[in-house]
Amino acid sequence: MTGSPITPSAGPPVRAGRSLTAAALIGVALMAAVDEIVFHQILGWHHFYDRSTPKVGLLTDGLLHTAELLGLVTGFAWWADLRRRRALSSAHAWAGLVLGLGAFQLYDGLVDHKLLRLHQVRYRVPDLLPYDLAWNAAGLLLLGIGAVLAVRAAKAARTQR
Amino acid sequence: MTHPHHEHGSGLDAIGHAETVLALGTAATVVAYLAAAGALRRRGDAWPWRWDTCFTAGGAALVVALLPLPGGEFTGHMIQHLLAGMVAPLLLVPARPFTLVLRTLRPGRPRRALLTLAHSPASWLLFPPLAALLDLGGLWVLYRTPLLAATHDRPLLHAAVHARMVAAGVLFTAAICQLDPVRHRWSPLTRGLTLLLAGAAHAVLAKTLYGTPPPGTAFRPDDLHTGAQLMYYAGDLVELALATVIAVHWYTATGRAHHRAVQSRVPPVPHP
Repeated sequence: MTGSPITPSAGPPVRAGRSLTAAALIGVALMAAVDEIVFHQILGWHHFYDRSTPKVGLLTDGLLHTAELLGLVTGFAWWADLRRRRALSSAHAWAGLVLGLGAFQLYDGLVDHKLLRLHQVRYRVPDLLPYDLAWNAAGLLLLGIGAVLAVRAAKAARTQR
Repeated sequence: MTHPHHEHGSGLDAIGHAETVLALGTAATVVAYLAAAGALRRRGDAWPWRWDTCFTAGGAALVVALLPLPGGEFTGHMIQHLLAGMVAPLLLVPARPFTLVLRTLRPGRPRRALLTLAHSPASWLLFPPLAALLDLGGLWVLYRTPLLAATHDRPLLHAAVHARMVAAGVLFTAAICQLDPVRHRWSPLTRGLTLLLAGAAHAVLAKTLYGTPPPGTAFRPDDLHTGAQLMYYAGDLVELALATVIAVHWYTATGRAHHRAVQSRVPPVPHP
């Protein structure tokens, strides 16, 4: 607590956890949007509706798809609110964003594609396994980068204090 | 029978009549809105021009929804319903029509009657989950019972279904946005959760329509697929717009509270 003139000690507290969560909501929604635009619309690899989809899959998909859209708006509003209060930690927000991207990718690859069987990565290919492995490895990689960023953000916050 | 071009069977004339009446009613409502807004401005009230533009665009969307539209039968029907039930309400509600009526009416019997209605149990229709149930429930009934097939050769039923779609859409949009003065204020959380469930019900219905047509109808598969995907993605856009309205309201309201707290130098209350 060496009260410098730029950041007085009575200033608003930086909300590390909230910065991370708000940006993670945006990250999840961004990856969902990439999935929808690139794999559904541009490449046409995913199917809009796979006839093998069970009812519970359709219901879960409807709820989560809507939640992603609302999460995008909520995340942005929350992020803007933290920024305006000077309570945003940029480092935590970047970590949250990448964690959100990875979490959606891995969730989509494991739960949507395999557990709920909403649709597959690609149809009419001899072997689906490489596609599934690449999909989930990308998710794990993003999660790893996000975790590294989160640890670095936490360390930086501690040395500043 | 003095119709020389009587070529599409007896139903078409009646459909044409119902649609003409609805279109004229819409046009008259827009003219009344613009006249009332003009009167407010002449007496010195601030009434932004963008609200006039919004309301006019909403009216135009309603009229376009009455015209025959391109694409397959089911796709055309879906465009009509998206315009009438979702796009038009999204343009009409932000124009604050109820505020305009209250400001225009002088103190007297019509104004008292309107306020009595607003303070009656009818105001519970604006309870977001109830408004959502009326809107989305009606939609499920339309597509998952033989109702849609029944409207095909019954013009009055068709007009009634169309009018219900508009009314339920306006009710739902008004309940979610809460831009006009309302009796009960519902929190952003209540409205957001309602939007989540309504959006999910819309998305699930759209996906099942892709695989299974409404009972009693025989649309071509490609027509059905285009219509269902249109319903799904247009629903997303409308949902994003509604969520943005709630978020912007929350952001400005908390901003005012934050500003007041900073101005009065009161230390912020710690979160429990």
